[in-house]
Amino acid sequence: MRSGGADGPWIALRAVVAAVFAFALGPILITAAVSFNGSARSVFPPEGFSLRWWGEAFSARWWEPMGFSLRLAALTALVSAAIGAPLAFALVRRRFRGKALVEALVVGPLVLPTLVTGIALLQFLHVLGLGALVGFWGLLIGHVVISLPFCVRTVAVSLRAMPPQLEAAAASLGAPPHVVLRRVTFPVISGGVFAGTAFAFVHSFTDVNLSLFLASPGERPVTVAILAFLEFGFAPTLAAVSMLSLVIPLVLIALLERFVPIGDFLYADPGRRR
Amino acid sequence: MPRGLPLVALPCAFLLLCFAAPTAYLFSASVLIAEGMIPQDQPTIDNFRLILSSPLYRGVILRTFVVGFFVGLLVVLLAYPLAYFLVRTRSRWKGALIALSLAPLLASVIVRTYGWYVILNQDGALNSLLLWAGLVERPLRFLPSTPAIIVGLAHALLPYGVLSIMSALNAMDPALERAALSLGASPARTFWRVTLPLTLPGVAAGFILAFAIAIGAYATPAILGGPATETMATMIRNFMLVLLDWGLGSAMGVILLASALALLAVAGLLGGGARRGTAAPA
Repeated sequence: MRSGGADGPWIALRAVVAAVFAFALGPILITAAVSFNGSARSVFPPEGFSLRWWGEAFSARWWEPMGFSLRLAALTALVSAAIGAPLAFALVRRRFRGKALVEALVVGPLVLPTLVTGIALLQFLHVLGLGALVGFWGLLIGHVVISLPFCVRTVAVSLRAMPPQLEAAAASLGAPPHVVLRRVTFPVISGGVFAGTAFAFVHSFTDVNLSLFLASPGERPVTVAILAFLEFGFAPTLAAVSMLSLVIPLVLIALLERFVPIGDFLYADPGRRR
Repeated sequence: MPRGLPLVALPCAFLLLCFAAPTAYLFSASVLIAEGMIPQDQPTIDNFRLILSSPLYRGVILRTFVVGFFVGLLVVLLAYPLAYFLVRTRSRWKGALIALSLAPLLASVIVRTYGWYVILNQDGALNSLLLWAGLVERPLRFLPSTPAIIVGLAHALLPYGVLSIMSALNAMDPALERAALSLGASPARTFWRVTLPLTLPGVAAGFILAFAIAIGAYATPAILGGPATETMATMIRNFMLVLLDWGLGSAMGVILLASALALLAVAGLLGGGARRGTAAPA
């Protein structure tokens, strides 16, 4: 639009965009400010400066659920990638009956409200007499269910973007199938696998709607611990814990982004790539 | 398909056992008489009858839809200018700005909602500002309230709107705008007659996606709302974890599930653009 000589509307648009950015980022910046608050109330602007809330955020009380969430998210990401990547491979490269059904099954957890998946799994475990799984293992099952679609999708996107002649060329030059897979296919699609793993990790780490129902008092992720703490009011500790739980996935993605253009899978119009 | 079988069989068995079967079971639990948490073998429609005949529960369902509708509306209204700017800008910060507008997706909805509590509570930023400016004499009560829930959810779901509308704008041929401008249409007219109609499917997809996620969201209504502003999600949590009436919880869950599916079916009818936006983690 700038080329049309329409500077006036463009400047107006920039003002609107600045306001939307303020709306989008303001609450997060305010939370960051409150975490350094000197008083014990969640006031803004902060009264004085203190690091005690961060000290509390790093105390055992919060490290425990934080560590729990990290373990859960890491395992969820690994399991999702381990079963999601082969499934994506089969969906893109193989023809079989019932494929549409399998695809529907994979996107199902993305389409149905996560909260409903949570209560369904909770009841199902109890009916099977597996109520003891509620806690880490129940959460792991649920998180893999809701994270799997991300792995399948990112791997499928990178497989579809790869020219199939690459594999045919390697095979015609005498490479056996497992060598083709390891030396040709995997290096090309590894971006999709890493992106899927990262999304699965973040999705698990930030989930509330499913974890709410599958957590047990001793085994609960940090999001559920924050919600439980909220019943006693809003202390600035929560602001510090919230910021910490924001920083962890942010750092992870930023680190990974240096090696793999994960962002491409998020916004570079995956619809057109397929 | 012998070669592909193990690749498909294991993940499918997992999803059938841990997703499809529990969901199917939820349907049956919603139409069985339950003794507390344990469903009995007698079928009943009392759960649905109770929910749909009680003014309280009907109010909860209605409020959930009102919240979802306005969240969707607010999301696309705010996302459109942002998406338009991000797609068309030639700033060298373009990549960073796109990352910045999608980064909130990395934060749990709790983190994103907590900020609104800090802004809206009685000692909060908004009240401080209003008192300081002399606009009010004593702090106003913004919480708990339905509008606060709507604002909080719209804030949390904004990136979905941005993604949907960006992909619609990316898919559009920019030469069409240049053609309209060079033929003498004003920028405003170009936008209304060319750009907006061509990107309307993306707007509809973003609206419905935000609507569908909003009606199933728990954290924001729990933090910014209260007993007088229950939504389907907070009600389900009460049934399941506080009142331990799993029959009613299942029935409410089935209603929520049917509502979300109905919304996405509408999206499918409108052009099938809705699935694109869901490439991002929630």
